[in-house]
Amino acid sequence: MSVRTAMPNLLARVPGVAIALIVLCTVFGLVSARFATPTNIANILVQSTILLLLALPMTLIIMTEGLDLSIGAVLTFASIILAVIVIATGSFALALSAALAAGLCFGLANGVLISVLGIPPFITTLGTLGIAQGLSLLVTDGQSVVGIPRSIESIYSGRLAGIPLPILIAALAYAVTHILLYHTRFGTYIFALGGNREALKIAGISVRGMLIGVYLFGGLMAGFAALLMTARLNSAHPTAGVGMEFDAIAAVAVGGTSFERGNGWLFGTLLGVLAVGVLRNGLNLLAVPSSAQVASIGALVIVALFIDGLRSEP
Amino acid sequence: MNAEGVRSPTLFELRGISKEFPGVKALDDVSFEIRAGEVHTLVGENGAGKSTLMKVLCGAYRADRGSFFHHGRQVAIADPVDARKFGIAVIFQEFTLVPYLDIAKNIFLGREIRGPLPGLVDQRRIHAEAKRVLDAIGFDINPYIQVHKLGVAQQQMVEIAKALSQDARILVMDEPTAALSDRETELLFTMIGRLKTNGVAIVYISHRLAEVFALADRITVLRDGRKVATVLPAETTPDQLVALMVGRSVDTTYARPPRPHAGKVVLEVKGLGAPSGIANINLTVRAGEIVGLSGLVGSGRTEVARAIFGADRISSGEIRLFGERITGSTQDSTSRGMALIPENRKTQGLALARSVGDNVILAGLRKLFPSGIFAPGKAIQAARAIIAKLRIATPSVHRAVGTLSGGNQQKVVIGKWLNARARFFIFDEPTRGIDVGAKAEIFRLLDRLVHDGAAVLMISSEQIEIVHVCDRAYVMRSGRIVGELARDELTEANIVGLAVHR
Amino acid sequence: MNDDAMNKNTKGDVDIAVRSRLAFSSNAMQALYRLLAATLLCAVLASLSDVFLTENNILNVLRQTALLFLMASGLTLVILTAGLDLSVGANIALSACLSASVMKATGSASLGVATGIGCGTFIGLANGVLVTALRIPSFIATYGVMWMLTGLTYFYMGGETIHGFPPAFRQLGSGYLLGIPMPVYVMVLFLAIGTFFAQRTIWGQQVYAIGANPVAARLSGVPVHSRLVLVYTVSGAMAGLASLIILARINSAEGDIGENLTLPAIAAVLVGGTSLFGGSGTVMGTLIGALILTLVLNGMNLLQINASWQPLVTGVIVLVAVWISTLTRQSGE
Repeated sequence: MSVRTAMPNLLARVPGVAIALIVLCTVFGLVSARFATPTNIANILVQSTILLLLALPMTLIIMTEGLDLSIGAVLTFASIILAVIVIATGSFALALSAALAAGLCFGLANGVLISVLGIPPFITTLGTLGIAQGLSLLVTDGQSVVGIPRSIESIYSGRLAGIPLPILIAALAYAVTHILLYHTRFGTYIFALGGNREALKIAGISVRGMLIGVYLFGGLMAGFAALLMTARLNSAHPTAGVGMEFDAIAAVAVGGTSFERGNGWLFGTLLGVLAVGVLRNGLNLLAVPSSAQVASIGALVIVALFIDGLRSEP
Repeated sequence: MNAEGVRSPTLFELRGISKEFPGVKALDDVSFEIRAGEVHTLVGENGAGKSTLMKVLCGAYRADRGSFFHHGRQVAIADPVDARKFGIAVIFQEFTLVPYLDIAKNIFLGREIRGPLPGLVDQRRIHAEAKRVLDAIGFDINPYIQVHKLGVAQQQMVEIAKALSQDARILVMDEPTAALSDRETELLFTMIGRLKTNGVAIVYISHRLAEVFALADRITVLRDGRKVATVLPAETTPDQLVALMVGRSVDTTYARPPRPHAGKVVLEVKGLGAPSGIANINLTVRAGEIVGLSGLVGSGRTEVARAIFGADRISSGEIRLFGERITGSTQDSTSRGMALIPENRKTQGLALARSVGDNVILAGLRKLFPSGIFAPGKAIQAARAIIAKLRIATPSVHRAVGTLSGGNQQKVVIGKWLNARARFFIFDEPTRGIDVGAKAEIFRLLDRLVHDGAAVLMISSEQIEIVHVCDRAYVMRSGRIVGELARDELTEANIVGLAVHR
Repeated sequence: MNDDAMNKNTKGDVDIAVRSRLAFSSNAMQALYRLLAATLLCAVLASLSDVFLTENNILNVLRQTALLFLMASGLTLVILTAGLDLSVGANIALSACLSASVMKATGSASLGVATGIGCGTFIGLANGVLVTALRIPSFIATYGVMWMLTGLTYFYMGGETIHGFPPAFRQLGSGYLLGIPMPVYVMVLFLAIGTFFAQRTIWGQQVYAIGANPVAARLSGVPVHSRLVLVYTVSGAMAGLASLIILARINSAEGDIGENLTLPAIAAVLVGGTSLFGGSGTVMGTLIGALILTLVLNGMNLLQINASWQPLVTGVIVLVAVWISTLTRQSGE
């Protein structure tokens, strides 16, 4: 018995994403001289931060056997809110709060629709994706929002003690999510939401409340990711975050979190985010258009899901 | 272990418990006594009322009549929370564990120990506490291991630890060894011994007589929802126990004359084995006979039925229907005239939201419309013919099948195979959840099928049904056929004798 | 045998006859309510806008409805099996672009048509295999496929636009016959084929049965996997066909041609009364759903409401429609 369960873990899970990462790095390192330079590696890390902020909550959501297709569109909407308000009022604090509130509103809507009305997660978030996208277009009339104060840009380009700020923010987010998942009651119940909801009910814990909480967390993190994205682009654009949810789902799936039984692995998601980041960066260096990158990530996901399917086979 | 003289005082007592379900009197005036530090085993045939009694005890069901006494004081149990208050805990068959949490977190799920910082859980204390509880039951394991990595027996240990950590004084175990290997069973028994010395009361439900005699301090026998006797293991023998379990009242409404003239072989199974846990199954069914497939729940009867029907993969052996070897897909077997009336008609037999008509023609579509073109008028006509033939009580062919009674739903499942012109029927628990009148009707239907030359393989947990309906029967135990009983050997005692572990 | 039964149980049979008429009418009522809603929408729009009842706009609405229906008709079958095909829009994009470049290169309309439908069909087949053989949940499998196709399409087009197709081909999208746009004829044709398949073939019956209870269907001898592959393939083929109509209508192909098409297609199916949980719905319902959705979007256009409202409104419509089917499912059980 121990051999049978240990084997897939050893072969397919722990090293799986790590091997993918190493293979990608080696290949790109051999093919492109510019890949393995300190500047480029720092680049990859900084560019991966926004994705990490989305992939962290996505891990928790997928662990509950859910999905959030709206997170990219919510990120975009929050970014627009941030930009519009900071331009209108000049107050960064107000703008950030508004962006976070926008994210939380969508998280709440997703959570309520899924847990209270019982609408399946993928269709719920597909609907709220449309709503968030529509709101973004409405607010901006399809145009970029420009003229953001320089100070915001420095959030992305600045450094603290020599370390780029986005990396610090991402590290903080990872630490917080780690503590949330592994050291709080909420995190414990996330495992149970996907693994055995009945056990939660018997223990007298509100399944609905927990689900709403998970999606709220997704909205909140989308709000923070909006801050980084706005700072990076120094503007907000209604299509800027389109498809980000796909990269996030890909990172989670590649990182070894399964769509069943609450089998999640947060560190795997971190590696998954890096794998997606390396893939995109490497293909960029090879001048492969971003469209082909999307296709290759799609292939990566299908492969990961296939392996996931093999693993869950008894 | 607990000799006559050192009887501990009664911890909890149920008096005069009755519970009725529509059409079934599940419990009739049952009294039951639980003492600290004692293993009280509960035995009886399938459907004797053991599980119902335990569900009443743990608050999952409310008794219609009867009273409870805790330390001699009358108390009420209305829901599981009440039961937990009195230290009653049930080790569920379907585990309440979360696979990707570690042992300690599972034990304290919902009762996490708060840490020094607000919102955080005190991991170290939870694991230390868990280790303490695990040590107390003699289960030497690292509480940081995730539960999905454990075997069934170990998971059961975690369940027990979880119950004990909630200060359970009464532990109910329903067939705990059903999924365990011999070694794991030994482990469980050692632990039960340790619990006893700690003063925990254990209610142990089992079919396996060997276990009953190894563990029990007292044995209570249930039959037809009534308590037959409470005996001491030292004063009884396995044969006496079987006799107490079976002497069931006979309902003659569906007694059926045996048919001595069986026709040619319809189904022949040789050396069948499957990954679902059955091995070396050999059986034959002839035209015009009803053959029983008996055994305890979990002995592999349904697995045999599904393997024959092509619903599950098989790993060895061959299946011949009307002399031809079949390939093992539901499509192949149905097109050759095989039918399965599955165990659970609501989830496996019917599309509840669809109409009676839609359900009743589903299996026969190919036969009714060989060209592939579907004609609603003809379909409705065919459906009405079945409704009339089987006397399915429905206001219309268009009525959703989910709104019908259990007996009528079952007739719809049978009806769909009449439309498919099936000649070999596998009935898996055809009378489950059906009231008495409808049961007799189902059996008359079976009789009519074989009268018209069809062959039937019938699975039933009610030995009495097998005895009264079948021409002969196979008995299964642990995934194998352990005996075949001809018509004149077909008695409840013989079936139970073969089916239970001795 | 039937006569025999009737003699025995005359009262019961009268009852059955009455009930069946009621059941029929309740089904027809569903469609009627939706048609009524559509009519009401028309009345409102006619009163709010002078343009609505002009010949041009009516033809426009018909054409749009036809297009939406073609995308949604195959999807209807998929949703009937309790699955979902999120790759419809991306499929249309790739099929259209491949077909366009084949037509440009060869000048042959028929080769172009074959390419478009062939490409769509192949993608549908791939979806079907992912869902059945690899047992990936349909919404995840088709979601992954959607992004792969989107990437492939943009990569293939490299930002180029292909335009100018043979006139014969263009007839398919912008031609008229007896004053009625060609796509409307295609729509009627496939409404007939789709309805025939769903209601009048045993395959269609099996599709409904799979959606209602896949386990019971399998245990009744229905070849579940091959029927599932079939519906995903049909959905892909219909997307391929729709891509041709779009291509013929706008006379150019770009990488973003399929953008924002999937959600309206899903909305049309759900508004048309097909349950997301499978087992109930009709192709005719989807036509009415497509009409309602087109009227809403057309009305917003006429009333000069910002086009940005469209995804938002579609999203809300999807959620409300699913919510309603969730409610009826719960009350049904």
